[in-house]
Amino acid sequence: MNTSSFNKQKLTSIVSLLILTAGALVILVPLLWTISTSLKTPGEVFGDNFFPKTWKWENYSRAVTAIPFFTFLKNTLIILIPVLIGTVFSSALCAYGFARFKFKGKKGLFLLLLATMMLPGQVTMIPMFILFKEMGWVDTFMPLIIPSFFGGGAFNIFLIRQFMRGIPKDLDEAAFVDGANRWTIFTKIMLPLSKPPLIAVAIFTFMGVWNDFQGPLIYLNSTDKYTLALGLSMFKGMYNVEWNMLMAATILIMLPAMIVFFVAQKYFIEGISISSAMKG
Amino acid sequence: MRNLRSERTGYWFILPWFLGLLLFTIGPMIFSFILSFSNWDIITGVRSIEFVGLDNFINIFKDELFYQSLKVTFIFALVSVPLYQIMSILIAMLLNMRSRGMKFYRLIFFMPSVIPAVAVSMMWIMILNPEYGILNKALGWFGIQGPAWLQDPSYALGALIVMGIWGIGNTIIIYLSGLQGVPEELYEAAQLDGAGITRRFFNITIPMISPTIFFNLIMGIIGGFQYFTQAFVMTNGGPLNSTLFYNLYLYNKAFVSYEMGYASALSWILFAIIMIFTLIVIRSSSMWVYYNGDDDKD
Repeated sequence: MNTSSFNKQKLTSIVSLLILTAGALVILVPLLWTISTSLKTPGEVFGDNFFPKTWKWENYSRAVTAIPFFTFLKNTLIILIPVLIGTVFSSALCAYGFARFKFKGKKGLFLLLLATMMLPGQVTMIPMFILFKEMGWVDTFMPLIIPSFFGGGAFNIFLIRQFMRGIPKDLDEAAFVDGANRWTIFTKIMLPLSKPPLIAVAIFTFMGVWNDFQGPLIYLNSTDKYTLALGLSMFKGMYNVEWNMLMAATILIMLPAMIVFFVAQKYFIEGISISSAMKG
Repeated sequence: MRNLRSERTGYWFILPWFLGLLLFTIGPMIFSFILSFSNWDIITGVRSIEFVGLDNFINIFKDELFYQSLKVTFIFALVSVPLYQIMSILIAMLLNMRSRGMKFYRLIFFMPSVIPAVAVSMMWIMILNPEYGILNKALGWFGIQGPAWLQDPSYALGALIVMGIWGIGNTIIIYLSGLQGVPEELYEAAQLDGAGITRRFFNITIPMISPTIFFNLIMGIIGGFQYFTQAFVMTNGGPLNSTLFYNLYLYNKAFVSYEMGYASALSWILFAIIMIFTLIVIRSSSMWVYYNGDDDKD
């Protein structure tokens, strides 16, 4: 009896592993095929071989010149770096305000903050476009950068605030007795202690900017201002851009996101768990 | 010490967010509300806003493409939300086993959800290509003649739903963390009482992760109404509007034909639909969501 239940357990775990392996293949095969296409000759792209006969690494160097890759990369970074600074700093600032102060209307304001997370972006997208158009900011990077300095997003504030509430109050109260003001407490005590959520926010922000498509699509008109995500899609189907080169460019855009993911996986998993712990 | 926490300095710290709320949320919402009852011209700008009453809404309810976009979005949501949830729960349960190599599998399943949507779209345009895409080649090995996927109006939406399975890693991770919160004793007690795998699944696992299911359901519905990049890049709504998602139609109205008033009205209808669905899910949740008394008191 014991051995049969043991065997049954063993069988279940073998079957489970087989299912997981099949699932993993479903994920990996398309990726591998994309990589292999990026290394083929144009003729091989239409052929039946999974792998190229000779690996054409020069597809990559041809891709980055056929598509103005480095201009797009530069534009993406011009947006990314200020947005990172603005988001991390201003969301930490607001999180500290919500985590450590008792002021009139705080509860109501915090509820308002949570409520804004439910608002679909489409409702504000059109008036924002008109606002930025009237300001002459269309076809500049400003509409994609400036909003991040105003609170850095409700979810990010929430994430950091939850963490800051877990930091013992004795720490800042002791500093206060020693004559430190709130700004010093914020920069010297709270910020260094809140590294984990700050890193998580930075990673999510990086991913958000790197992946953003609709934002650049709406605000950037000239090709020399395109970001990588927007630029890649615009070169789809152009006569001088072949599939192998397009796939090479696709891999190049995936790569930074993948590297960040593998280096910082634990922050991804934690951040996602926290977002679900909010339960709406 | 009371002095430290009970003062107005707090207002200064939340000021950036509050200004942002006024400038980028509440202000635009009011403006958008007004716009939805107006016509706006791209050339003359704000000065020539013309109040047209309910015209935009009346025209929307006569607009065939509006109904088409609702249909596409609803079919997508009704098929993909349950499909992705069930697959995610099953995979999450497998990934929750204590076995060697689980960390590696978790990484693989989660990986596609960090790939930029544009890159995923480009990949899948290739994969779904009727002649040289790997999907139809693979089907060919089994003697199946694959359809033209994105070029065929009756398969294009289905192709996008299938493609979405590739990126359910996010949902899997949320379920995995939900499953890890289920106390082991419950399963052990049930097993002692003679409950089999199916009974344990329906009487323990499902009730215990019902808050997570609830969260994912809301997110899934909202996600369907915000689906954009893949549809824009891969099919641009075609063929024959078979993938004209609501958000894509809204974008076309606002930024292709510059009917900003009309598009604003569309955005408020979208908002109302999301609200109604969210309320339905929240209202009905008391019947099926089990919270383990983990309330967060301020």
